[in-house]
Amino acid sequence: MSKPSDLVQGTLDLLILKILALEPLNGWAVSKRLRQVSGDTLQVSDGSLYPALHKLEQEGWITAEWRASENNRRAKFYSLTRLGRKHLEKEAANWTRLSDAIAGVLRLEEV
Amino acid sequence: MRVEHWIYSLPLRLRSLFHRRQVEEELDEELQDHLHQKIEEGIARGLSPDEARYSALRAMDGLEQRKQQCRDLRGVNAIENFVQDLRHGLRMLRKSPGFTTAAVLTLALGIGANTAVFSVVNAVLLRPLRYPEPDRMVNFYISNPRLESISIPVFMVWRQQTGVLEDFAIYGSAYKDPGVSLTNTDHPETLRASHVSAGFFKLFGASIEAGRTFSDQEDVPHGPKVAVISDGFWRRRFGADRSLVGNTISLGGESYVVVGVVHDMEPTHSAFNLMLGPSLRIDTPADVWLPLQADPNSTFQSLDYRGAARLKPGVTLEMAQAATNLAQTQFHKKFPELPLIPGFEWGLESMSDAMVGNVRLAILVLMGAVSFVMLIACANVANLLLARAAHRRREMAIRAALGARRRRIVFQLLTETLPLSLAGGALGIVLGYPFLRILLAKSLVDLPRIGGQGSAVTLDWRVLLFTILATLLTSVIFGLIPALSVSRCSPHAGLMENDPRSSSGLGRKRTRSILVVLEMALSLILLAGAALLMRTFVALKGVNPGFETRNILTCEMSLNQPRFDQTSAVARLVRDGQRRVEALPGVEMLAATRELPLDQARDLGGILIEGRPKNTNQPAVDFREISARYFDVFRIPLLQGRTFTEQDTEQTPRVAVINETMAKKFWPGYPVAGSPIGERISMDLSGLMGPAESPLQIVGVVGDARDVALGSAPEPMMYILMNQCSDWFNAWDNRLLGPLIWVIRTKAEPLSLNEAIQHELRIASGGLAVGHVRAMDQVRTEATADSTFNMTLFNVFAGIAILLAAIGIFGVMACFVNERTKEIGLRIALGALPRDVLAMVVRQGMRLVVIGISIGIMGSLALTPLIASLLYGVKSTDPTVLACVAALLCAVALATVYFPARRATKIDPVLALRWE
Repeated sequence: MSKPSDLVQGTLDLLILKILALEPLNGWAVSKRLRQVSGDTLQVSDGSLYPALHKLEQEGWITAEWRASENNRRAKFYSLTRLGRKHLEKEAANWTRLSDAIAGVLRLEEV
Repeated sequence: MRVEHWIYSLPLRLRSLFHRRQVEEELDEELQDHLHQKIEEGIARGLSPDEARYSALRAMDGLEQRKQQCRDLRGVNAIENFVQDLRHGLRMLRKSPGFTTAAVLTLALGIGANTAVFSVVNAVLLRPLRYPEPDRMVNFYISNPRLESISIPVFMVWRQQTGVLEDFAIYGSAYKDPGVSLTNTDHPETLRASHVSAGFFKLFGASIEAGRTFSDQEDVPHGPKVAVISDGFWRRRFGADRSLVGNTISLGGESYVVVGVVHDMEPTHSAFNLMLGPSLRIDTPADVWLPLQADPNSTFQSLDYRGAARLKPGVTLEMAQAATNLAQTQFHKKFPELPLIPGFEWGLESMSDAMVGNVRLAILVLMGAVSFVMLIACANVANLLLARAAHRRREMAIRAALGARRRRIVFQLLTETLPLSLAGGALGIVLGYPFLRILLAKSLVDLPRIGGQGSAVTLDWRVLLFTILATLLTSVIFGLIPALSVSRCSPHAGLMENDPRSSSGLGRKRTRSILVVLEMALSLILLAGAALLMRTFVALKGVNPGFETRNILTCEMSLNQPRFDQTSAVARLVRDGQRRVEALPGVEMLAATRELPLDQARDLGGILIEGRPKNTNQPAVDFREISARYFDVFRIPLLQGRTFTEQDTEQTPRVAVINETMAKKFWPGYPVAGSPIGERISMDLSGLMGPAESPLQIVGVVGDARDVALGSAPEPMMYILMNQCSDWFNAWDNRLLGPLIWVIRTKAEPLSLNEAIQHELRIASGGLAVGHVRAMDQVRTEATADSTFNMTLFNVFAGIAILLAAIGIFGVMACFVNERTKEIGLRIALGALPRDVLAMVVRQGMRLVVIGISIGIMGSLALTPLIASLLYGVKSTDPTVLACVAALLCAVALATVYFPARRATKIDPVLALRWE
């Protein structure tokens, strides 16, 4: 089974927040967007998406609202809160710092 | 950040909790929507509808699991489980009302008793003093003999230590408030008065209702006659008239300008252990404060006042103590003529310690005792639950078999017991608190800080918090034992329970036996404590006080006014009073004194006997100023020589009468080889404590009386005549040391003559009121009030304990007989006589009792020394008491075990062998 832990811990949260930062989306649209942007590199199962969304909602980083989707179905749309935006900025900066550091280590020449 | 988080998540959680169905539907809809889209997408990619559906579901990794994951994230799972378990528990309790009633009542007894005692602990020990920054307030005392008092010269030196202390105050009387008479009025009364230095109001944080308090300029020798009065007195007597401030009132025949009204204050001192007496005295709040106007150059060394101050911020008690020690060194340099008494050291203690004094121990002992009651109650309810748990082992086994984790099962069982504790706790407050209030109101116990009749013992947040914690704690204690016991068994064993060969119930039986042993042990300890206190009470009641208390009326009159500064004025007052009161029908005779026996005595320090060298190792001597008929009123027997007569007047030589103890201690051959009669004595400190007094000739020896308290052995006592005191000594008495006390022997019930006597005394004194009217029998009852209080509470606790323990052992033995019906039936069928069956069951039960009692005896031997200081006339490890208590407990247990044992003998073997 592929669980969120298949990704680097917390990365799924970061991805979802970033996607929702662009526009409010429902769960299905988020999963589509995830597949589009990451291709096959990041395997996110549909199953792990919803617990992740609910968790972010509980944290107060995203908020949900029921409204009509593009095909006129009632759907739960998630959007980023002010708190979520702050969190995203912080996490994104962290991520950049961490990946830069790791990249730096990997660039070391073997003797 | 946190707050903002809650703004988002709290509504969500509340919604999950209260709109559960809607939230569930939304979750379902959301996931179904996703699946739909996924299936449509799959079909669009060319999959068959079934394949598309299958692949969509697979991508979801288990729809139900994901839903549960989402539910878990709502953070309200624990609450939901809790509510579910609680409902289940309530249902179970409703189904067995007998069990529920027994358990709730048991817990109510335990929690109620604890709440009640804790409310006293709270009022006396925990509630902060109602003064500003009470933690920084310190009280001055002198060690060995311990006196919470200070003299003016000591205060003047001590208050130089401004580096560590501030807000110094010297105030009140270290003895007994002499009070002051409100005069120039149709309704004279004796007011409670306190002489205070200007700093007093700042130290104790008096809040001013009108006017102001004393200024430093007013607090100087021969300063203006000003007064501050209490809010209560102002309202009661003057109808809260604001124009009173700036006007005068007449106190002791002199005019005082009222400069201010302050709100009633918590008594500035509650408990003090005067002259080593075990009885406590509670100071009542003052009606009026007068400026002390102490002379900074005074050399009068008598320790007549109290002293207190506040630590400067950041200063510890140790630092202040060091500075105080330094001050004492300076003091002795300043007064080199004062004798240095070893151990006579200046000390500081926190004000709260000074307030509570030696009551702390008694209260903590009560708290300890009552917590035993709680433990026994817990053990009993645990026992009941265990008995019930037998029926639920199958249920628990099924739960475990279906995958419930042990933690979840234990938690469930604990939650089910919560309603029991909550009901018990609620009932406990309802029962326990009023019981204690009634007890405090009825009892004459002198506990500091509890207010009039225990009015300050209230249910505040601390008491409620304590009760809630106690409730939860009991629920955990009595719930956890059966919960662990039940959940321990494997599902297999639990499901096999009905198999007669199964032995899985053994552990549970052992748990129940241990609980009974524990109950017996705790009950024995409580019983031992109760028995010791009862012995103390009986011993105190049986003490011969050395005088007769029946048919004596006592009342007090404040002579705190210039009119009585001359000894002759007091002598005339006593003579007039005596003539008038003795003329009343029903009155036998009257005397006057400065202190009552059983109440307090004044320490004179050492004495000098003419013709003997000064001896600093001799015992201290108490003294009492009385009028001639004191010994007749109290019927204190004369042993040698003569008592005072009307012929001993101001003009005749000064005479003294001493008690037997003094005669024996100072004249070792007394009564055979040596006699004090005719010897001349004088006070050792005469001259330092005021003008030198002329020597006294001993004319008689009288029997010992319990002068300080019933429980303290007689000390050397010297009686002198009031009318032979110097004017200076007389004024000192009137102004500082206490009121004049009238004692009247009557032929009838003394209080029935109260009004007539008061009337005559008012005429004799030129319009002064008397106060604090008591029959001497009441004084005696008050003298044993603390002991009565301790004993009553301990008896109640021990009674509850023994009742609960009896119920406990009954339950266990009834269960024992029940479980072994088949075996007993078999025995009877094989020819066992009823006697044998009876013996078997009784033996089984008494084995537990004996083990419990043995442990209890060891526990008592370890614990009762803690209450040694509350005991009188009995040793804390008295073997007779322990033996009696053990026998009593055995008898109660035997009587209880007898019932299930008798039932066992009635078992019909035919029915029993078919028993399932």
